[in-house]
Amino acid sequence: MARRNLSRHRLRSALACLGICIGVLAIASLGIFGNVLALSADDAIGDIGNQIVITPNADEGVEELTARDVGAIERVAGDAGVAPLKTDGAQLSRGSESTFATVYGIDRPGEVYVAAEGRLPDRHRQGAILGADVAETLDADAGSVVTVEGVDLRVVAVLEPTEGFTPAAPDGAVLLPESAFSDAGYDQVIVEADSGAEATLIAEAVRETVNAREDRVDVFELTAVVEDVEDFFGLLSGFLLGLGAISLVVAGVSILNVMLMSTIERRTEIGVLRAVGVRKREVMATLLVEAGLLGVVGGLAGVVLTGLLVAGLTLFSPVEPGVVLDPTNALYLVGAFAFGVLISVVSGLYPAWKAASVPPVEALRE
Amino acid sequence: MASAELVGVTKRYDGGGEVVTALSDVDFAIEPGEFVAVMGPSGSGKSTMLNVLGLLDDPTEGARYLDGTDVTRLEDRGRTLARKEFVGFVFQEFHLIPTLTAVENVALPTMFDSGDDGRAAALLSRFGLGDRLTHRPSELSGGQKQRVAIARALVNEPTLVLADEPTGNLDTETGERILDELRAICAEDVAVVAVTHDPDLEAYADRVVRIEDGVLA
Ligand SMILES: Nc1ncnc2c1ncn2[C@@H]1O[C@H](COP(=O)(O)OP(=O)(O)O)[C@@H](O)[C@H]1O
Ligand SMILES: [Mg+2]
Repeated sequence: MARRNLSRHRLRSALACLGICIGVLAIASLGIFGNVLALSADDAIGDIGNQIVITPNADEGVEELTARDVGAIERVAGDAGVAPLKTDGAQLSRGSESTFATVYGIDRPGEVYVAAEGRLPDRHRQGAILGADVAETLDADAGSVVTVEGVDLRVVAVLEPTEGFTPAAPDGAVLLPESAFSDAGYDQVIVEADSGAEATLIAEAVRETVNAREDRVDVFELTAVVEDVEDFFGLLSGFLLGLGAISLVVAGVSILNVMLMSTIERRTEIGVLRAVGVRKREVMATLLVEAGLLGVVGGLAGVVLTGLLVAGLTLFSPVEPGVVLDPTNALYLVGAFAFGVLISVVSGLYPAWKAASVPPVEALRE
Repeated sequence: MASAELVGVTKRYDGGGEVVTALSDVDFAIEPGEFVAVMGPSGSGKSTMLNVLGLLDDPTEGARYLDGTDVTRLEDRGRTLARKEFVGFVFQEFHLIPTLTAVENVALPTMFDSGDDGRAAALLSRFGLGDRLTHRPSELSGGQKQRVAIARALVNEPTLVLADEPTGNLDTETGERILDELRAICAEDVAVVAVTHDPDLEAYADRVVRIEDGVLA
């Protein structure tokens, strides 16, 4: 019955559907767009937010971090990986290839780095561990021999290339045992936590303990930056969703208009329904089904269009398919559809109630 | 016991300062199986009387009964249920739903219940419209439409059928056919009140009451 009533004014119903369709399209595609941006950024930022880098505070005359500092940091870091580093630069060569690389003196590389080839020793006692770029330049593998500042060293392992931005990036570096450095102190300490929140806590604890009496160290954490970036994307998504929601509300107004017109036209018919014993809420339900049907049809069209749009986006842009196929995007589709139907029914509520409330005598007297 | 009864019913309309008394102290009763014709000039209060009898409108004063039950003051919900249970309406303008087929129009009062078990189709067949079940009102003649309307009035097995100028939009011959049908309904102990200013109707009625300026003679 609802379908037949709607098909009485095909064009009008189609336009109302189109409104909902556009609204759902807007809210779903803008929502997915924002989500894809946020997910892509998340990918690029990687685990950066989980790391903190502690360096000596040169302003206070502290030139290096002592074993005591490292011990203090390890105590507050708990389960998180702690890697004290000595830093220098060195000329590396293998056969005819040679390159300049950062040299890190590190005792336990497994705390913060991952090997692509070979195995990272628990304690770094001998040989060299090459960063990915260095290994490639020298055409070296685990087992090769490289010359560092005139000393021949066997390559123990080659590190995974790092993605995105990481502090103390090891790609262009070579990791040597601490014993390769003459002075006892460290140039920086990297702490790798399991989460951004944990990193923040550790950073706070380091400031409170190591810097208790004097500001010995600078604590650099990216968590705050990452949070800012995430906040920004959250805001952007909210803004885009808001835009979509506005267009859906506008569509709701057009449903309201269509339902109002059609109930006014059908005033007598509705009066007849009431006269023959159809109850007020049954009349309302019938009319709400009509409004809901407009929403369902428009919403489905919107969902299909969004699907096509997103497919196009994936095909013709450098966005990673994994990010587009993320299940949270489906949530936006379902959410937009549900919201579209809800808006339609809510918009039908007033006209339906108004129409059902007309006393049948008045509706029938013409 | 009367199928329907009005006791001292007065109905006043308060239209823009000027009060119109459409019914004035009306006493009326109709027995099961009785066919009563209500006659009177235009504006005399005939439709008002039917609307009050059929619970479409409430009396300003007085009491009304359906099947012996006092239904003078009912909320909208109660009136709707009572209409559905006791009353069938036939209108001068037929008032069929244009988007529904004949059989769907007849089943309209039962649409939100469990269904009519083929009663709608059976009624249409009885009124000679067995081959018009799936026709839309626009595909039916005036007389056919009014027979569909009568079938609709009967689908809930009412005790009272109210017809407001049922022949008003029909030619004499077709009108007579409709009056025959209404007359036949009474054989099933249904009370029929038909309003008209058509003197022909007198021949079909068990009893004729006249109304003028809201006063029943
Ligand atoms: N809703 C209303 N408001 C004001 N006056 C009304 C209303 N309905 C009917 N009337 C008046 O009541 C009187 C009786 O009307 P009605 O019962 O329709 O007469 P009939 O059906 O005999 O032609 C008329 O004077 C009419 O103008
Ligand atoms: Mg009248």
